Amino acid sequence: MTAASDFTSWLDGGRTVSDGPAWLADWRARAAQRARVLGVPGRKDESWRYTSLSALLEQDFRPAAGPALPAASALAPALITGFEPHRLVFVNGDFVAALSTSGALPEGVRLGSLRERLATDPGALEGRLGRVAGAQAPLFSTLNAAGFQDGAALLIDPGVALEQPIELLHLSLGDTGAILAQPRHCIVLGEGARATLIERYLGLDGAGVCTNAVIEVTLGQGAELRHERLQDEGAASFHLSTLHLDQAPGSRYRGVNIGLGARWARTELHCGCAGRGAECDLQGLYLAGDGQLMDYHLDVIHSVPECTSRENFKGILYGRGRAVFDGRVLVARDAQKSDAAMSNRNLMLSEQAEIDTKPQLEILADDVKCSHGTTVGQIEPEMLFYPRARGIAEPLARRMLCLGFAGEIIEALSHEALREQVTEQVGARLEQASG
Amino acid sequence: MTSTPAVDDFVKSDYEHGFVTEIESETFPPGLDEDVIRAISARKGEPEFMTEWRLKAFRHWQGMAKPTWAAVDYPPIDFQAISYFSAPKRPEDAPKSLDEIDPVLRETYDKLGIPIEEQKALAGIAVDAVFDSVSVATTFRATLAEAGVIFCSISEAVHDYPELIQQYLGSVVPHTDNFYACLNAAVFSDGTFVYIPKGVRCPMELSTYFRINARNTGQFERTLIVAEPGSYVSYLEGCTAPQRDENQLHAAVVELVALDDAEIKYSTVQNWYPGDAEGRGGIYNFVTKRGDCRGARSKISWTQVETGSAITWKYPSCLLRGEGSIGEFYSVAVTKGRQQADTGTKMIHLAPNTRSTIVSKGISAGRSTQTYRGLVRIGQRAAGARNHTQCDSLLIGDRCTANTLPYIEVKHPGARMEHEATTSKISEDELFYCRSRGLGEEDAVSMIVNGFCKEVFNELPMEFAVEAQKLLSISLEGAVG
Repeated sequence: MTAASDFTSWLDGGRTVSDGPAWLADWRARAAQRARVLGVPGRKDESWRYTSLSALLEQDFRPAAGPALPAASALAPALITGFEPHRLVFVNGDFVAALSTSGALPEGVRLGSLRERLATDPGALEGRLGRVAGAQAPLFSTLNAAGFQDGAALLIDPGVALEQPIELLHLSLGDTGAILAQPRHCIVLGEGARATLIERYLGLDGAGVCTNAVIEVTLGQGAELRHERLQDEGAASFHLSTLHLDQAPGSRYRGVNIGLGARWARTELHCGCAGRGAECDLQGLYLAGDGQLMDYHLDVIHSVPECTSRENFKGILYGRGRAVFDGRVLVARDAQKSDAAMSNRNLMLSEQAEIDTKPQLEILADDVKCSHGTTVGQIEPEMLFYPRARGIAEPLARRMLCLGFAGEIIEALSHEALREQVTEQVGARLEQASG
Repeated sequence: MTSTPAVDDFVKSDYEHGFVTEIESETFPPGLDEDVIRAISARKGEPEFMTEWRLKAFRHWQGMAKPTWAAVDYPPIDFQAISYFSAPKRPEDAPKSLDEIDPVLRETYDKLGIPIEEQKALAGIAVDAVFDSVSVATTFRATLAEAGVIFCSISEAVHDYPELIQQYLGSVVPHTDNFYACLNAAVFSDGTFVYIPKGVRCPMELSTYFRINARNTGQFERTLIVAEPGSYVSYLEGCTAPQRDENQLHAAVVELVALDDAEIKYSTVQNWYPGDAEGRGGIYNFVTKRGDCRGARSKISWTQVETGSAITWKYPSCLLRGEGSIGEFYSVAVTKGRQQADTGTKMIHLAPNTRSTIVSKGISAGRSTQTYRGLVRIGQRAAGARNHTQCDSLLIGDRCTANTLPYIEVKHPGARMEHEATTSKISEDELFYCRSRGLGEEDAVSMIVNGFCKEVFNELPMEFAVEAQKLLSISLEGAVG
């Protein structure tokens, strides 16, 4: 197969939301135009310095002709015992109402398909959809704007606290060819609202699917969101996901990103603290084994005074795994009393693994407290000696040490069932790696 | 409006080393083409291989684009408006001793506070004083010759040791390396050559004082230091420049080669004219410095104190090619006014058990911009490699910028690397402590900043450490409050 020279094929022939208000059509047309102008970023592009797009260009991913209609049983392996959220299910980017169980939602919470919301109540999304991403969004976010097929719309009124978590469960089914799935989620929390949002991306068969997801989050004054993203796509899949976050004064965002699957995964987190006293906490854990690339880009912008941000990412690399961490904290002019701490720690378990990390600070104000730290290392013999001396076989001892290293991030997940699930998955991958 | 003479004096005194020595110099008209390069080469009486080497670099340079990635901003440089050669008159009867040196030139040194005779006696430092482009005085040649050390200008070396020059020149920084290094290879005026033979510990610290003098003349220094197996040398470089209006381009290249068990310590104090309060007229300092730890267990250590220049673009690097070799980088950079500095280091670990340490302290004040840009690369063969990096930035004033851009690439699991960076302002507590004990604000800041930089100053040779501390205090004058 000859490699495509750009991603314009993504813009053609999709089942994009065609009906809807004029502002929507305008916005999508502008995005399509911009995507064509942007072209394909190369290695000279600083945010793609360590990540090659050639593997993705070699594939010929196309939007699916029609929605996949999996049997209800397809859902079974994706469910986690003991975890009962309001659940919206997406198969290859399309919302499947038959599999979703949104249950009884409290008053003031509107949750459902984005496509449906745009058809029935477009006013609720006007000025919100695409606002956080802005007109200057990076390439894949722009491609998504031009071609998203559906997604979730979650609107929570001021002062409403949602106790039960919301899950956006994405299933990738590749049996109908090389499919491009482009969901887009729009999350708006009003003043003082609270919620927990779990995004899961699962590949249920080995086939290659390309997911290009975008989520836009707007937090009103004093709002609080716990946002957990678990990516476990199939081994032949490509995964792109972009978060655009906008925080009003005093709001709190707590994000956990777990990246385990896919052959090639890139996550971009664009976080803007635009309100005084906003807090943004980003944590991440990634595993990369044979033939995998895990690529994380953080762009945290402190544009007003008195915001706090924490970025804590940990990686375990084995086999021929590769990871890229490109974290950037920008403190704008006059954003005094900013407090930012970024940390990226990596454990390398094999000779062929590779990590490229680039934690950057750009500070334009003086009364700030900013730091970053990076480490790359292996499991030291002294660390192994302790469990070995207690009769634990070496492979198990190694696994225990790795799980201990990963534990800090896993512990940050909000639900016990999720923590157990992730621990199990990480353990299984490590066992595979040593076996 | 009236003003008192005292105030006028004070206003004019802001750059202590700003003066121009009226000395007749033979300067080429501005412009650059192959004829100019042949003329430079002919004027210096260079052998054929050097002329060809320069021309090859020039032809390559014509096809190169100016780099734009650094976080610095300056008007485009017209390379045809620069004069590429300037030599003090009467090169044929170059002085044999200090007494023969042009008295005007001597005066310049005195104004700079570098009395060569005194230094000879007091500090035990051999000085290869570079005034403009041609070395005019080389002292202590005899003492060094006794030890077998070659310490001379690079022009002399081209004549006297062509085989060493052919072997090593351009072997660490090839002419294809980057835009400014390539330009330097084509037009370099002069510089220093140091050769330490096998097993010799250089009996004294070697030092070159640079001075940019003739108006509108770019200075293209080239330094080459070769340390044979088991040898040691400590080299000091320091500079000040007279005040002037046109921006001056300085594109130097420094190449260090350390063979088995050799050690090179290279220290720099850079205090070129940074421009006026609006950033006009300062020096553009685009330097390529690289050390090649070619031999096993060799060591190269860079220490720098950077306070001057309008724009600094400088990344002293170490290629750790010998097994167990060591690279070090200690840096203090101070920017104020409208100064821009994009500086850092590269540590390229290519062999097993190589180690590197990076300590970078940046202080930005006023409306200056400072960027630490560093690369630590641990290659596939570098088992047991170690790196520790620490970059701290101190901000004084709310209009300055401090960026930290480290790049870390690790391809071997046996490597261990740590990177830490902090950015903050001088803590109110520390200031209060000093102020409550009767120190003025400037003194207090100076004291705290000196403490912040102590780790780096400790690496400087004694004479330089004293000068560096003084320089730091002077640089920060007026930056506080």
